[in-house]
Amino acid sequence: MNEAVKPDKGAIFKNKLKTWFSQPQNIILLLFGIVLTFSTVAPIVAIVEDTFKIHPGTIDQHLTGKVSGHTIVNYIDLFTSKLAKTNLWIPLMNTVILSVLTCAISILFGGLFAFLVTRTDMKYRKYLSSIFIFPYIMPQWTLAVVWQHMFYSNKITGTSDGLLASLFHVYFPNWWCRGVFPSAVVLGLHYAPFAYILIGGIFKNMDANLEEAATILDTPKWKIMTRVTLPMIKPAILSTILLVFGSAMGSYPVPHYLNLTTLSTKYISMNSKYTGEASILAIIMMIFGVLILGVNQMSLKSRKNYTTVTGKSGQLTKISIGKAGKYVVGIIFIVITFFTSIWPIILFTLETFLPNPGDYSFLYTRDVSHLTTKWWITNENVTENGMYGQPGILYNSTIWHAFKGTLLLAVACALIAGTIGTLIGYAVSKKRRNKWANYVNNVAFLPYLMPSIAVGAAFFILFSNEHINLFNTYTLLIIAGVVKYIPFASRSSLNSMLQLSGELEEAAVIMNTPWIKRMTRIIIPIQKSSIISGYLLPFMTCLRELSLFLLLCTQGFILSTTLDYFDEMGLYAFSSAINLILIVTILIFNTLVNKLTGASLDSGIGG
Amino acid sequence: MKKKIISILLAGAMAIGMLSGCAEGVPQAAPAAGTGEAEAAKPEELTGIDAIIAEAETMSLEELAAKAIEESNGKTFYGVGNSSRGKSALPVFIEYLQSIDPNYTMEFEWQQPKNNKIFEQLTSDSLKGTGTFAMTLIQDGNQIQTKMVDTDILKTFVPKEWAEAKGTTPDAYEGFLPLQTLNKVFMYNNTGSATYGNCWDFVAEGSHPLFMGVDSEIVGKNFLMMLTEDKYAGWLKDAYDKLDDSKKAYFDPVIKEVEADAADLGLGENGKYALAWIKLWVNNYNEQTDDGPICNTLVDASATDQSGLLVYSKLRSVEESAGVSVANVNVAAYDDGYTGIGGYGYCHYLFLTKNSPLPWTACAFIAYMTCTEEGFDAWGKDMGGYSSNPKVAEAIESTYHHSEGGGEEFPAKNDRGYDWWTGEGQGELVLEDPAYCSEVSFSVGSWIDVLDHYSAE
Repeated sequence: MNEAVKPDKGAIFKNKLKTWFSQPQNIILLLFGIVLTFSTVAPIVAIVEDTFKIHPGTIDQHLTGKVSGHTIVNYIDLFTSKLAKTNLWIPLMNTVILSVLTCAISILFGGLFAFLVTRTDMKYRKYLSSIFIFPYIMPQWTLAVVWQHMFYSNKITGTSDGLLASLFHVYFPNWWCRGVFPSAVVLGLHYAPFAYILIGGIFKNMDANLEEAATILDTPKWKIMTRVTLPMIKPAILSTILLVFGSAMGSYPVPHYLNLTTLSTKYISMNSKYTGEASILAIIMMIFGVLILGVNQMSLKSRKNYTTVTGKSGQLTKISIGKAGKYVVGIIFIVITFFTSIWPIILFTLETFLPNPGDYSFLYTRDVSHLTTKWWITNENVTENGMYGQPGILYNSTIWHAFKGTLLLAVACALIAGTIGTLIGYAVSKKRRNKWANYVNNVAFLPYLMPSIAVGAAFFILFSNEHINLFNTYTLLIIAGVVKYIPFASRSSLNSMLQLSGELEEAAVIMNTPWIKRMTRIIIPIQKSSIISGYLLPFMTCLRELSLFLLLCTQGFILSTTLDYFDEMGLYAFSSAINLILIVTILIFNTLVNKLTGASLDSGIGG
Repeated sequence: MKKKIISILLAGAMAIGMLSGCAEGVPQAAPAAGTGEAEAAKPEELTGIDAIIAEAETMSLEELAAKAIEESNGKTFYGVGNSSRGKSALPVFIEYLQSIDPNYTMEFEWQQPKNNKIFEQLTSDSLKGTGTFAMTLIQDGNQIQTKMVDTDILKTFVPKEWAEAKGTTPDAYEGFLPLQTLNKVFMYNNTGSATYGNCWDFVAEGSHPLFMGVDSEIVGKNFLMMLTEDKYAGWLKDAYDKLDDSKKAYFDPVIKEVEADAADLGLGENGKYALAWIKLWVNNYNEQTDDGPICNTLVDASATDQSGLLVYSKLRSVEESAGVSVANVNVAAYDDGYTGIGGYGYCHYLFLTKNSPLPWTACAFIAYMTCTEEGFDAWGKDMGGYSSNPKVAEAIESTYHHSEGGGEEFPAKNDRGYDWWTGEGQGELVLEDPAYCSEVSFSVGSWIDVLDHYSAE
């Protein structure tokens, strides 16, 4: 009679399950945890398998005497053959040097600029802030091509004379023209806006009280810089390293154009006869990505030491660099950014009116009748008038087809990656101490740290088989782009969501407001600026991405591969025009988004 | 540390290798070009694509066109190739079919993959039951042999009329079907005082010819491998013999240095001359991304004394200006008294894919390109590309007069034609032989791989 009521374990479990599923963040984490595990791990598995596979007509077939099956000879040959130094160790060393130098240049240049814009009374800040991000908007190798046009000479590089040699008879040494130095400078300039945005963000929000306190205590300026200012921006520097190192490592076009052998260029050149060994190079690049993530995790822990930075300071005082100094420094940066941002655009425009690629003879003959509009307005490809069988830019169906494809790709990647990233950022912020949430956060970020060329190679191998063959489809490009660019959105969303107090949403929950409404009416409107950045960055990056998509489609499929094709062919008029199209497109979108939402790439930094 | 990493990698590799089962390996059986297929089966035993090809090889272009109209009306034709001009040739082919049946329509897409991806693209497409690509126009005989033909991914179709024009029959013809031969020739900027009267001058001390890297365009490596074949090694030896003693003195130590390698690689008696030339070339060429930039450089007046090995037809697109002129370059082989090889020739080959979705249309398109002037016009309108069909080549020359294309003002553009370029004592083009290239790919080829590349100081 007095039997104790036994708890119904099934009902409890059901209830727990119901409660668990009633929280959208749990569903988001479960769903994307599974999807992202597959989208990140499957390509890695595919490329690892490829390193053991025998490929007909390549070294592994020759060494094993078999046309199919699996083997370890690719590893043995890559690490121990006579070619190990040429195929592995030198490219690896060059890659590491290039990545380290690129990080250093981007941090020094971008960081110094961020300091001057945010913490000093330098003049022309608004203009400089907008113009500084131009090298990031442009495809990275276009600066490399500009470098060639400027500094190459018959005397040193054994080619025709570049602008400086032909106009001023100035001959730059070979180390300046080709190899690691120009590659690092070009990539450093390209990624300096990263450092500017990240470091500038911290400078802008930094509590000036600390520096002021040090000043009151009569601490020397250099000591304030090294003991107070620099430690406070250390997390931003680490974030920049995190983003730039992997990107520089996976850059194919810049070292390719500037004659530097890296793992990326070696991957491409080895792929025909040493296919399996090339895949090992991709794995090595991926290992660097994982290592960088590990270092970042360690640095996150060490950031506890810098918790003296609290909230926004209402007392941000600008350091005076002198009455003349503020103009002089401003003008110096106007000149520098002219050469890094404006000069390439002038050259691109000019190039589309030259009679032959790189033929600047009108400059020294001072005869503008040598210029031509043929590259724009020729509407046929039958008569050979120095157009290499191509119709003019305005009538070139390849260019405009690629433009449409690129827009489709960029919009799709931005929408999908932006939405997924925002949801992940939201869910992770809600479960910030949960291990699974941390895992999802990391697995979403990992592809960004992996070199683009390796990610592209992995996706090519994964989606080119008897069951599924997506080569040269927008589907494949969108998948690769989304996986690669989710981190842009997830990081910016996570950072902004962490700033939001949970009470806001809790109040809405008490009012029985559905989740969708909570998101669209409360959370997204409050953090729209960061969230829109999470859409804008994938869009912009997708427009001019080459390394990631190089192996996944043919050359007329999207603008970046078309641009690379024309650059390689030496048809600089077409590639320059594509550059202009890209720059104008990005500026239009950036301005539109800025006008509509108030968000932009450099928003809030340049004042 | 390095050793540890290697040992971990190797251990991992071994474990996976064992797990995945090396027993899967299939013994290599690779028929050489043009030999295996004919022996494989009698015509009546052929099935699928092989049966279609066998039947198509007995049909005229008109008969093939009728089959193509029946097969592909209203459909989409996918082609893939190293030459972008397939895209220009397809609409002309469709017009031809429409001249037979005005109601005929066909959409098309022509893809041109980059960075050697054409082989991977065709390989992955071959895994499907029915492929995407109906046919391909492809270069690099070496990789075609080992990756495409030995693996049965691509199938050769020889049009009846093409064979007849060559004085043979489809059954008797051995090898791949070339659409055209292209030539890369030695040129130099003539605004200075440098002279290149012998092919050894391009590898002489201080010479750094502009050239696409052997890794970025594999046909360039095929050229180097072909030099070791007896005929071309002999040409190099003959050219060497005509050098004066001072020049010989520069080359002799290198020739001596590679003598043992030539023996190890099983080369003929003149193999050492070939290896010496190759070594000096690889040690000294100035690598460029493409032939376009090489041409842009050489025609510029400022590129004094520079030389290069590049696609001849690039000269067609130079526009005369104050600083740039075709008159600034000489084609070395056209110079009076020039001795030795003038460049190299390689083919664009035509194939059906083994799982072609539109095999009859592909056969008709291939026959149209190889047997008619209109079909070849997309390539023929420019100098430096020679139809494999002698009748078409003749018609193209009478239409375009490439042999007089540059007149007296630009002699470099007066294309002397295939026969001259390939003749001994004339152009002496080194012609690519897919079978030889694939045979020495990992002997001579690997020897080339370990050579140091030039880097300007």
